[in-house]
Amino acid sequence: MNPTLSELEAQASQGKAAFGGDAHIVCDNLVRIYKTEGVEVVALQGLDLLVQKGELLAIVGASGSGKSTLLNVLSGLDVPTAGVAKVGGMDLLSMTAKDRLRYRREVVGFIWQQTARNLLPYLSARENVELPMKLAGKARRGRAAELLELLGVGYCADRTTPEMSGGEQQRVAIAVALANAPQLVLADEPTGELDSETSGQVFDALRKANRELGVTVVVVTHDPLVSEQVDRTVGIRDGRTSSETLRREDAEGQIIAEEYAVLDRVGRLQLPRDFMNALEMERRVRLELESDHIGVWPAREESSGEQ
Amino acid sequence: MKLLHLARVHLGAMAVLLALTLSACLLVAGLPRLTQAAFDDALHEALLKAPAERIDLTTTMTSDSPAQDLGDARQFEKLHGDLRELLPAPLDRLIASAGASTGHSAAKTYGTPVEGSGGKRYINLAWLSDRERRVTWVEGRAPGDPSMTTWHNQHITLFEVGMVREAMTMLGLKVGDTQILGENNYSAIKIVGVFEAKDPADRYWSHNEDIRHLLTHRPAGSLEEELHATALISDTGLSKLSGRDRNLTYSWVLPLRPQAATALDVPDLGPAVMEFERRMKVADGLLPRQILRTGLPELLGVFQAGLATAQTVMYLVLGGLLVVALGVILLAVQLLVDRMDQALGLMRARGGALRQVARLGAGLVALAVVPAALIGYGLSYLFPGPVLPLVHVGPLLVVVVAVAFAAARIAVTHRTPLNERRDDVATARPSAKRITLEVLVVGLALAGAYLLRTRGLTTDVRSEGQDPFLLLVPLALALAAGLITMRCYPYPLRLLVRITARMRPAVPFLGLTRAARARSFSVLPVLILLPALGVSVFASVISGGVADTQRLAAWQSVGAPATIASEIELPPDVIERVRRVPGVTGVVPAQAATVQVGYTPEQAQLLAVDLGRWRELLGGSPITLPSPGTASSGIPALVSSGLSGRGTFEIGWNSRLKVTATGELDALPGFFTEGKFMVVPFDVGQRPVVNTLLVGGNPAMEALREAAPDTVVKTQATALAQIQDDPLTSTVRTTLLVVTIALAVYALVAVVITLVIGAADRARALSFLRTLGLSDRQAQRLTVLEVMPMILVTALVGLALGLGLPAALGPGVDLSAYAGGLPVGDYELDLVTPVALAAGLTVVAVLGAYAHTAISRRRSLGAVLRVGDLS
Repeated sequence: MNPTLSELEAQASQGKAAFGGDAHIVCDNLVRIYKTEGVEVVALQGLDLLVQKGELLAIVGASGSGKSTLLNVLSGLDVPTAGVAKVGGMDLLSMTAKDRLRYRREVVGFIWQQTARNLLPYLSARENVELPMKLAGKARRGRAAELLELLGVGYCADRTTPEMSGGEQQRVAIAVALANAPQLVLADEPTGELDSETSGQVFDALRKANRELGVTVVVVTHDPLVSEQVDRTVGIRDGRTSSETLRREDAEGQIIAEEYAVLDRVGRLQLPRDFMNALEMERRVRLELESDHIGVWPAREESSGEQ
Repeated sequence: MKLLHLARVHLGAMAVLLALTLSACLLVAGLPRLTQAAFDDALHEALLKAPAERIDLTTTMTSDSPAQDLGDARQFEKLHGDLRELLPAPLDRLIASAGASTGHSAAKTYGTPVEGSGGKRYINLAWLSDRERRVTWVEGRAPGDPSMTTWHNQHITLFEVGMVREAMTMLGLKVGDTQILGENNYSAIKIVGVFEAKDPADRYWSHNEDIRHLLTHRPAGSLEEELHATALISDTGLSKLSGRDRNLTYSWVLPLRPQAATALDVPDLGPAVMEFERRMKVADGLLPRQILRTGLPELLGVFQAGLATAQTVMYLVLGGLLVVALGVILLAVQLLVDRMDQALGLMRARGGALRQVARLGAGLVALAVVPAALIGYGLSYLFPGPVLPLVHVGPLLVVVVAVAFAAARIAVTHRTPLNERRDDVATARPSAKRITLEVLVVGLALAGAYLLRTRGLTTDVRSEGQDPFLLLVPLALALAAGLITMRCYPYPLRLLVRITARMRPAVPFLGLTRAARARSFSVLPVLILLPALGVSVFASVISGGVADTQRLAAWQSVGAPATIASEIELPPDVIERVRRVPGVTGVVPAQAATVQVGYTPEQAQLLAVDLGRWRELLGGSPITLPSPGTASSGIPALVSSGLSGRGTFEIGWNSRLKVTATGELDALPGFFTEGKFMVVPFDVGQRPVVNTLLVGGNPAMEALREAAPDTVVKTQATALAQIQDDPLTSTVRTTLLVVTIALAVYALVAVVITLVIGAADRARALSFLRTLGLSDRQAQRLTVLEVMPMILVTALVGLALGLGLPAALGPGVDLSAYAGGLPVGDYELDLVTPVALAAGLTVVAVLGAYAHTAISRRRSLGAVLRVGDLS
């Protein structure tokens, strides 16, 4: 029997909602193009990303791969050119200025790499934490002190930026990002300027926020110390997610990291460059469907006889 | 965030903004007051210079019958009160009360003949309300009550009168004499006293010249002069004076207080006088044939012609000053806002609404601007002069514009946080809308300038006030020039960059590339520097033009460094004395005379002088003398147009001479400007009768007067001083000077602020280059090269604008009132001052750039790179 019109509609809407489901962050085929004098720079070229609520996720990638652009898009500071970007069900592409303001006030908090850029140098740590609350018009007495205490920098409450170490500054910055109890915290290389010991403290603070406050945390990082301690690491190459590394504990309590390539919804796959180089794969490859895997073969004549 | 906290953080920028606003408000509120005060002074001087009779309102009425006679002083007072009631608003304030100043009332007969004189002698009778205060009796006594006497069997009134000595002498009378007046209604007078004016210099007497002096009058076709004297009578005498017997007029002088008049009243006073006259005609209770006599409207008309020009120039330069001051203030606001940019950006990113962020920025600007404006406004009250609307509006405008600009700029910058602000990958291109707007502005400015030249201004400045068109056109022109400069300037520069790219040294290439691409080349510095230079060059051209024309006018009025004219022949010893006066370099004798042309009653002025020797005296003066022609027969003469076309003709001077016109003259400097005149060689007469000396050098006027007593001495220096010593002229020149200096300072501040705004960016670029091996000296050259093109181009365009403005506005600005009546025309381009201005500005800007690099060199490389490390 042919489906009725209403059934088709229901099917269509179901199908649409299917991608990402109820994920906290949904990026589908995200494109961001900067136009400069006659040249277009495509910073994101069809990026897909799903992040679940309460997840602690690291994004890694080479310089210029589009990490920071993605973070700017997610933080509501930048508007993507095309695609879908949703955070907590809010569509970042179609938000009005008012929605965007509300989004920044209530949904998201973020931390930049430069310690100096996160805090106003002439305000004390407490004042810095109170600033977003005041801006949102819901300053709550004691909240700043609580947050600073939670992140282990309660003793810095009355110090201004120059009086704090880099690690302290970044932890205060995390407190600032958490000030309005956001659902999502984005951090752009938060440990980029810090030594390994201090990085550890800062990352612990982030993890504390993730565990104790249930905040989804997305960290862009180069730091292996960081990327090795998160559940999932997403690699970005040339403006697309190219790989994912999942970590889980095995029966003996050892961390097992498994690296996966990302398969997008239309079936595109990025092969790691060193794999391609090893087998001198260029332009064309041969695919063969086996019962439990797909074989990829270099498109060479002599190889046609193998297997 | 607390405003005061933020203010303390940005103390430097706040201080700059504060100082700029303070000075701008002080200038904008103070200068108009100062100029208006000078206009008022000029008006007072013009009014005081004129005789009281001319500026006071004198109402005369006539008595035709005994019923209309005014018998005592109280009746005069009542009518005076009635007249005052009729004064319309602006006049009311300016008229002094009855007894004050020159105010008084009088009753006078006119044309009262002395019996038996055959209409040759008249003794009019006059009563003055304030006679006791004004005259003193030097012989006899004051007139007493009239009595009756009998003459030819008639009972007639005998008035006791007093007269001035001059009249009595001329009429051959003495104290105690009696005269019979009238031709059918007779009365008698007995002279009982001689009086003198208590204060002959009092302006009061201009109303009563007939009482102080004997007047003579020669009727047309008569050979004999009539003598008119006026005799004073007493209060009781007034009651016997009747309009039935005599031509009797009553007059009331409503005295104008010159000091109370202000230049702002001037346009209203003329209509007010007419309104007063109209009210008088329709008023009840006055005597018939009311006539208002006053020269006030004419006097004010002449004054206003000069005033209008002064106001025009003032408006132009003050408008320019306001625009430039606003521009610099906006630049300082931009500096402050740029300094706050990071904090505001962070606030915005952390959930600050646009309104919150803009309010904070605008609040900080207001924190600097409002107190500064209030102080400037308050200080402007230290300047003398009336409070004009501009005094309030100017500072308010400054505050509103500065705060609004801050709010708007912050709103535009932070509208979308971070969006499109990645300068590393995206640069903004001008939108089509903006280009269209710019083309529109340029088009409007050109059309405006064209209209101003063809249509001119509204011709009736007196009734219509200033033409705002005149103000808008230069502004629009400056704006258009700025826009064109901004749009077109990078193109030749890029060409230059291509050339330098092929050369070996890297610094010119780097510097010019940065200049061609720099974001720091923003709108504001150009829009400030252009009008600043334009207006100051315009001001210097105008004031130069006025100064030159004044000098020319002085030379034309005297004709030589000094001249001495005498009614009688100057003996050789006087000439020798003049020659020995210190400072005299040469003396050229001349003969001035009135000669008969042909054998007719036609007369002409003649000057016999050696033109060659005269010319030697005129070294370095702006006037030129004609060269004498040569004639084959007769005496060669240069003649005026009224005498030309006659060829050879005879003149009657000391003897009959035959002269031949060899050329035509429009005027002869120092001697003739109109009528019939001629110039002949000095030694044409039988015996030269020297009555005029042309003196060269730089002698003092007093010394010449001593050397040649009883002569009229004129020097070019005194003539020039007279022309220059006019409150309006000196005000115009002072204001031009003040504005030029202020503009130069503002231009300099603009350059410095521009440098400071771009400092962080430049420091970072320089630091990077220094890690690549750029030396300090090269860094300095780089900075200078980066700023130079903008300043150089702006200076050139500003110079051109300033030089072009007088030509563009030519028909709109008539400065002849300040130049001894000569039109200030084809502004002789004295390029020295304007070019010095432009060059000075350029040099100072370059020095600023050097100083800036010298200061920034002190920072360590590491600090700069680290702070600027934004990946």
